[in-house]
Amino acid sequence: MASHTPAVVMDNGTGFSKLGFAGNDSPSFVFPTAIATKGAAAGGAGGSGSGRPAVGNKPSYLTGGAGPGGHLGMKRGQEDLDFFIGDEALAAANGPGYGLHYPIRHGQIENWDHMERFWSNSIFKYLRVEPEDHHFLLTEPPLNPPENRENTAEIMFESFNCAGLYIAVQAVLALAASWTSSKVSDRSLTGTVIDSGDGVTHVIPVAEGYVIGSSIKSIPIAGRDITYFVQSLLRDRGEPDSSLKTAGEIKEEYCYVCPDIVKEYSRFDRDSSRFIKHEITQPGGKKVTIDVGYERFLAPEIFFNPEIYSSDFLTPLPTVVDGVIQSSPIDVRRGLYKNIVLSGGSTLYKDFGRRLQRDIKHLVDARIRASEAKSGGAKSGGLEVQVISHKRQRHGPWFGGSLLGQTPEFRSYCHTKAG
Amino acid sequence: MSQSLRPYLQCVRSSLTSALCLSNFASQTSERHNVPEIEAQTSPEVLLTPLTVSRNENERVLIEPSINSVRISIKIKQADEIEHILVHKFTRFLTQRAEAFFILRRKPVKGYDISFLITNFHTEEMLKHKLVDFIIQFMEEVDKEISEMKLFLNARARFVAESFLTPFD
Amino acid sequence: MLHLDYHNVLIQSILTERFSGAPPVNIDQVVSDFDGVIFHISTPETKSKILVSIQVKCYDELVTYGAQQVLEREYGQYIVEPESGYNFSVQVDLDNLPAEKEARVELIHKVALMKRNAMAAPFENAFDEFHTLQEEASKFTSEEAPQGIKEGGKVMAIHYREEEAIYIKASHDRVTVIFSTIFREETDRVFGKVFIQEFVDARRRAIQNAPQVLFRTDPPLELQGVPGVKDSGNGEIGYVTFVIFPRHLSKQRREEVISHIQTFRDYFHYHIKASKAYIHSRMRRRTADFLQVLRRARPENEEKERKTASGRTFKQGS
Repeated sequence: MASHTPAVVMDNGTGFSKLGFAGNDSPSFVFPTAIATKGAAAGGAGGSGSGRPAVGNKPSYLTGGAGPGGHLGMKRGQEDLDFFIGDEALAAANGPGYGLHYPIRHGQIENWDHMERFWSNSIFKYLRVEPEDHHFLLTEPPLNPPENRENTAEIMFESFNCAGLYIAVQAVLALAASWTSSKVSDRSLTGTVIDSGDGVTHVIPVAEGYVIGSSIKSIPIAGRDITYFVQSLLRDRGEPDSSLKTAGEIKEEYCYVCPDIVKEYSRFDRDSSRFIKHEITQPGGKKVTIDVGYERFLAPEIFFNPEIYSSDFLTPLPTVVDGVIQSSPIDVRRGLYKNIVLSGGSTLYKDFGRRLQRDIKHLVDARIRASEAKSGGAKSGGLEVQVISHKRQRHGPWFGGSLLGQTPEFRSYCHTKAG
Repeated sequence: MSQSLRPYLQCVRSSLTSALCLSNFASQTSERHNVPEIEAQTSPEVLLTPLTVSRNENERVLIEPSINSVRISIKIKQADEIEHILVHKFTRFLTQRAEAFFILRRKPVKGYDISFLITNFHTEEMLKHKLVDFIIQFMEEVDKEISEMKLFLNARARFVAESFLTPFD
Repeated sequence: MLHLDYHNVLIQSILTERFSGAPPVNIDQVVSDFDGVIFHISTPETKSKILVSIQVKCYDELVTYGAQQVLEREYGQYIVEPESGYNFSVQVDLDNLPAEKEARVELIHKVALMKRNAMAAPFENAFDEFHTLQEEASKFTSEEAPQGIKEGGKVMAIHYREEEAIYIKASHDRVTVIFSTIFREETDRVFGKVFIQEFVDARRRAIQNAPQVLFRTDPPLELQGVPGVKDSGNGEIGYVTFVIFPRHLSKQRREEVISHIQTFRDYFHYHIKASKAYIHSRMRRRTADFLQVLRRARPENEEKERKTASGRTFKQGS
């Protein structure tokens, strides 16, 4: 049956999981990679119990009340069925009795018990498929240790008997996702992926479908920081509402990247229509209006001028990208400059790609001029820098998976239980 | 602990303790190699007589000593089809993680469910009596775990069946 | 999660969001449901007209048992010409929704239940037939009843999966629903046996009024002479029989009974997989315990952490 059912594509990220079927242009479900289980949440980062089931001397289900009349749901020993994932998990954790856990940290699966149940629920409650009937495409972060991949395969085959499994690197899928852009002509799997989600931004060089692990750089500035920055600006001005939620809304609705901050300030001062009034309804029904001003272009600017936000991390994103490419093998650098692909929610600001391209181009041109001067007369042919923005950027890795999953060759790439 | 288990484990413990007298021994067949002789089986004179300790027809331990290595293979009790599949699942789960266990053999010796290989390098690095403790504890716990898993499965099956049929009630 | 939903969560959530007056967007999603059912949710004409199409493997069979009539009854005015490649389509116009909130919720629910409704026809058929036969039979004492009534109705076969089928047969005192099951995986087969045994025993032990469940590895009596039923001989295929009694067949209960029994196969397989997941977590825990024991054999680990007077730890240089 698995030969003509659509492949299942699951991209489980630190913050959000994207689930759906290959061939679609967007995931069917996007929800937090969170699971709410009975009992208190694991306290702190290194949570002691790490959510293992209790393996006591006397198994708990032996003591559970049996027989007619006993309420089945109350029988003990079934706790492993009593949990919620995604948005339902957040809701359940607000009430009593459930603790919230995030099985993925920094892109890697940390709690396998929780992850296995998260997958079980994803498959049977949300996607509603018999895994034996479907091939699965899962994603992994760059530099995922092989044990993690083995554990994933063990679960997918042993527990779920999935018909076939392919685990692809997120950055490579993000590259494949950019093929939909009209700027991409040659469909190569060489390029630099800038993946910026909620927690962290990665710059990942990929050559011929393989990640150049030694050159990857991470930047501790991502979506969450932009939200905090907007929030701090709102607070400084004493706006009537400066909650994180409001800051997030403003970030998503009004922010954009400007070519030059100084000019943008004066443009705002000349043209008052650039200031916007944002109306929100507070919990309780009260409506308030907030002024939205310079944060519209200042917030995403922290990628380009981190010093306005952070005092620890001061390297602008274009410089990091340039450094990553310069540290990669010389024969792939041209391909890496030519195909800089954006991926993730925090790369969606208007003109983000254009600004990035301009800034990287400046760095590259300056270097070429310097070496031309040093060589005394030699002329360089120049270097093409191109940043690709495309429509499927938000869920880039998922969409790349969807593209790959619907190709006729996909099933032959898959691992099966026997193989 | 049942009547026969204690003497069984006691016997394994003492047999194993005496078998773990290992010393460094370079290969006689290939120069500058140092291999576990029990695995290589190339020099009969350094192999000792293997020993089987049986509790009953379903449970036994094979201890194969040699000059620099000992192979311990365990046949775990499997009373029925369910236990058989659970033992198979569990031993495979463990061997998948053999790297972390140092002394776990990736493949069991034929006729057994799980095998360990202890070499002189292991006994030099680790405390010998603690290694024996580990084997004994493993044997105890594995039986317990299998029967608990079986109990779980039955309890779960009952719960699931009743839950499905209750709405008809 | 204990029970599987009867409805498709995605259809429900898309429609709920669209109906709530969110700004119109294009939708184009091809999604699967259990048993190889495929849905296509799209807005082909305008953003305000949502087309939901379903493709069921055994649709032709279902039609012979009256699926068309059931779907017409359920979806009436919303039915449109089936989209090419699909068996049945409904279209919901967002500009022309029922005025009352309850009716809108009802509509969402109905569309989300499309798979269930498409599969319902043979069950409804059998339940109706049962009532007819029961009435007929009440005219006779059990001995003198004509052959036709004793034997009951014809067996309806639904080949809903590639290798598995549902057979339904009405009699004057019961409706029999038989699921043929097959396991590709040894572990699943063994686990499945344990589960099935509990289904068989449940009625005797706890739930007296539940349908009787029978299990055998050769085709049951009811299926003799039904084309396509073969005895694999090696017990690879199992037959799970649910005997549904008159008390389950009343008009008030039949909707629920039909929904519920349809989920049997997937419920059964879901729980086998969920048990394996639980057993995995037990094994992880045990493995960690074993490793801990083994780690104690390493002497350097026995060394206590050394602390200075101020509470800092330090390591001795070797």
